[in-house]
Amino acid sequence: MMARILRRLILALALLAVAAGGARADEGKAGAPHRPFRIYMALWRGWEGAAQGFKDYFANQGIPVELIVRDAAQDPSRLPEFVAEAKSLHVDLVFTWGTSVSLGMLGSGPHPDPAKYITDIPAVFAIVSQPVETGLVPNYRSSGRNITGTTYLVPVETQLNLIESYRPFKILGMVYNPLERNSLVAIDEIRRLGKAMDFTLLALPADVVDGKPSPASIPAKVAALKAGHADFLYIPPDTFLNVNRDILTAAALEQKLPSFAAAENPVVDSKAMFGGVYRYYTVGQLTALKAAQILMGGKKPANIPIDPPKRLSILINMPVVRSLGVYPPMKLLGLAEVVDPTAAK
Amino acid sequence: MKLDGAIPLFLRLVVLAVLVLVPPIGLIAWSAFDQVEQAIAPELDGKALAVGHGLTEQVERAVGLGIPLDKLVGVEEFFAPTLDANPELRYLAVTDANGKVLFLRGAEREALQPHYRTTDYDLPADQLRAVIGDYVDLALPVEVKGIRLGMVHVGMDANFVHRRVMATLVDMGVVLAVALLLASEILLFVVAVNVSGPLRRARAMMARARRGDFTRLAGVGPLDEVGLFVRGLNAVVLRTDDLYRRLAAYIDEIKSAHFDAGAIERAGMIEGRINFQYRFAVGGEPKAVQERQAVDIRLALFLFTFAEELSRPFLPLYVHALPSPFPWLTPDMAMAVPIAVFMACVALGSPWAGAITGRLGSRPVFLLGLIPAVLGFVAAGFAHTVADMTLWRAFTGFGYAVVTMACQGYMSRAARDQGRAQSLGMFVGAVLTASVCGMALGGVLVERIGFRDVFFVSAALATLSGLLAWRLHEPREPAAPARPIMRDLLALMRNWRFAVLILFAAIPSKLALTGVVYFLVPVYLAKLGYGFGDIGRVLALYAVTVVVLSPLVARLADQTGWRAGLVALGGVIGGLGLLIPALGPGLPPMMLAVFCLGLAQGLSASPQLAAVPDICWIECRNFGQTSVLAQMRLLERIGSTAGPLLGAALVPAMGYAGAIAALGVGVLASALVFAVASFAYGSGPHIQSEERA
Repeated sequence: MMARILRRLILALALLAVAAGGARADEGKAGAPHRPFRIYMALWRGWEGAAQGFKDYFANQGIPVELIVRDAAQDPSRLPEFVAEAKSLHVDLVFTWGTSVSLGMLGSGPHPDPAKYITDIPAVFAIVSQPVETGLVPNYRSSGRNITGTTYLVPVETQLNLIESYRPFKILGMVYNPLERNSLVAIDEIRRLGKAMDFTLLALPADVVDGKPSPASIPAKVAALKAGHADFLYIPPDTFLNVNRDILTAAALEQKLPSFAAAENPVVDSKAMFGGVYRYYTVGQLTALKAAQILMGGKKPANIPIDPPKRLSILINMPVVRSLGVYPPMKLLGLAEVVDPTAAK
Repeated sequence: MKLDGAIPLFLRLVVLAVLVLVPPIGLIAWSAFDQVEQAIAPELDGKALAVGHGLTEQVERAVGLGIPLDKLVGVEEFFAPTLDANPELRYLAVTDANGKVLFLRGAEREALQPHYRTTDYDLPADQLRAVIGDYVDLALPVEVKGIRLGMVHVGMDANFVHRRVMATLVDMGVVLAVALLLASEILLFVVAVNVSGPLRRARAMMARARRGDFTRLAGVGPLDEVGLFVRGLNAVVLRTDDLYRRLAAYIDEIKSAHFDAGAIERAGMIEGRINFQYRFAVGGEPKAVQERQAVDIRLALFLFTFAEELSRPFLPLYVHALPSPFPWLTPDMAMAVPIAVFMACVALGSPWAGAITGRLGSRPVFLLGLIPAVLGFVAAGFAHTVADMTLWRAFTGFGYAVVTMACQGYMSRAARDQGRAQSLGMFVGAVLTASVCGMALGGVLVERIGFRDVFFVSAALATLSGLLAWRLHEPREPAAPARPIMRDLLALMRNWRFAVLILFAAIPSKLALTGVVYFLVPVYLAKLGYGFGDIGRVLALYAVTVVVLSPLVARLADQTGWRAGLVALGGVIGGLGLLIPALGPGLPPMMLAVFCLGLAQGLSASPQLAAVPDICWIECRNFGQTSVLAQMRLLERIGSTAGPLLGAALVPAMGYAGAIAALGVGVLASALVFAVASFAYGSGPHIQSEERA
């Protein structure tokens, strides 16, 4: 199991190196451009890792770009003005962050309304968890229109293998948002994999109060998982859980329940014990690579597949590990990025 | 190995070569051995230290992150890849500050724990080196924030260098032995061409001269001492011849002058007396003595067989490494097919090769056979798949048949001058010595230069043998009439005693040779993890046993006349020997089995041949003994071809040791049938054929 993951990681590193080499080759072919490319960056909740990775890629590759950065601050009503502004500025490319911004500015289906959405300017999207299911693109091979982008979710099977390599488990605990259809789909998939990998899933829904999932019900659910002899708490990449990650992970820590997160934030700035993620920064860089292929390599966005980064980041939250006393195997530790704010390194 | 009068000289030269070569090489090897050990040991220490530092850093990082040293997880699994990648490292361990073993992979805790408790760990870091039994233990301190928490131990194999150098020494020994055998072959050749051959011819000339025969010269050798001596003798004969001619001219002059009838009569009497007592060449100059020696072609035969035998230890495994275009062939069968095809081509090519050797002479046929053989070697080195490899083996097999038959033809015609037994002994001797050298050296060579290059070496050696054959002097002789093969064959097989000999003695022993020695043993030993050097030495053991034993047994068989018994005994020993590997894996059982098989072959091969004139004396009289023996060789090659195929067919059901044992049971059963049939009817001439004749 462990060996399989390691092999996959090594392969992934090699592929990344090839991808990077390819990008450099593209640049060499095009030569230095006359003026900086103008890129319109529409963000959802401020400047973070993916945006930084996107920006750094151009800086590292020596590609001059002028970034026009706009933040919707989680307000969907601002998106129409972004569309109008991008059109009036005649930018070379649009970058959209997150599902809301991407759908709000790029539309869905094969022929979005050119009046409401950006259609003639090429666009790249990032941090869209389900681009196909939401109708942003028809499939991962090609958008069939003037956009492309990246995904950022680690396949569930890879996540489960990673948990197994940290510590074998029989019962996987999970709290989920019953109002989120995607959570139910994910539960089905985990149950199916559980048959092959020989574990059972113990999934408890958060209570719904006034038509909304209640964050206050989370600690009791985590305690129930512990009582049900769960070996691990699995934290899916779910907005409700991400928003309430402090409550969730604190409860897990209190119950001495090791937790695995399929997203970055619960590990990096909360108390999930470890996680396997594509880092936002890496995702941003990959998105920038695709943007460069469009701007400099002359590729059509429809010809660029939508895929995740090749390198998986294993994050280990050392304070939580120390507090739980559930130590990672040496091999995993050797590959992991350690989150340890207390250590003076 | 029986020679002409030059044996003492040749033996003395060989002994001299051994004395001159072995002690200095042994001495150099021995001192190199020490130096290499001393030079490599610190290198290995350095490498182990580097490995240890890398691991220690990881451990320190983990401990630095707050994981207690004794609570580290998955340390053994973490050590595993390092141990796998470094064969000189035997174990890796982590101990705490008290020397207690916390984690360990590669050794028994009990073997190390008592030692660690007593080791003084206050020494500086670079002196934490200790010898524990067969291990050299390097200890690297685990320090976090300046506090020594424990140690990472790197356990090296103390005998690693020693074993590696020993293996190299064994290889060197093999190379030296092969070099000596090769040197003796070359010496034999040089002595025969430059010394014993010219002297023999000079002796023949002088013997004639002593009887008053001045018609022959000893031929012209090289301008060395022997050559000058022979030239001197030739000059005496030529001077005598010259004096005779002058005398004859004077007598003619007297006869034609007619001045004194009495003088003419006396001159005529003198002439008559001289011509009665002495013989001179009729039409002028005396001719050189033409004499063929079997040894002339021996070196060429040796080199060619040597070239073929080089690939013996690894051929099935080389084939295994090639992709197979036939998905329906099991991997074992795919390895066996090229060997079987080679044997079949040898069998089918031999009768034809024998016939054209009779018509064209040995030299052109030898060179003709080299063309497909060398082509086969070179192409085998470039082979892409099992299919084309099989084709190239067929080429070489055909060439092998042609070349060996050409040599056999040359030697058997030389036998008319020298004696038949010697010439057959010369042929078998050259082939077996080449087998020993080829198998042993092939194994060593392939480990160093790889499969493909060995085939190119083979091609070069075969080409060299061609150059030697090129310079053969061969008197033209009338063509021998070709015999219809199939009719003789049927007639022979109707002689049921011959049929018993073929079916229950000759074929099983060939089957065991190609099935076990050429196929199952190399594949099985390789599967067990032995190197090609070891495989080659095991195979060479077979040939060594046969070489040493054959002449002794031949003499025994001739003296006692106990032929059928020896043949049966050989079968029983060989069959029982093949059961040994089933008792357990490893080199010693396999060596014992191969030794038994060599013993069996040594015991039964010459008696098999020697029994033929008795068993089928009618046929020998009708077809000629040579022809009957050729038929026998053709028939026994059915066994050679079937051997690898049968072995490969048995492997999936019984495994390698099982397949070897199954063939052993077959050999044993055949030997028993042969024994019963032979003892029931005695070993005298075959009565039924006699009656029918």
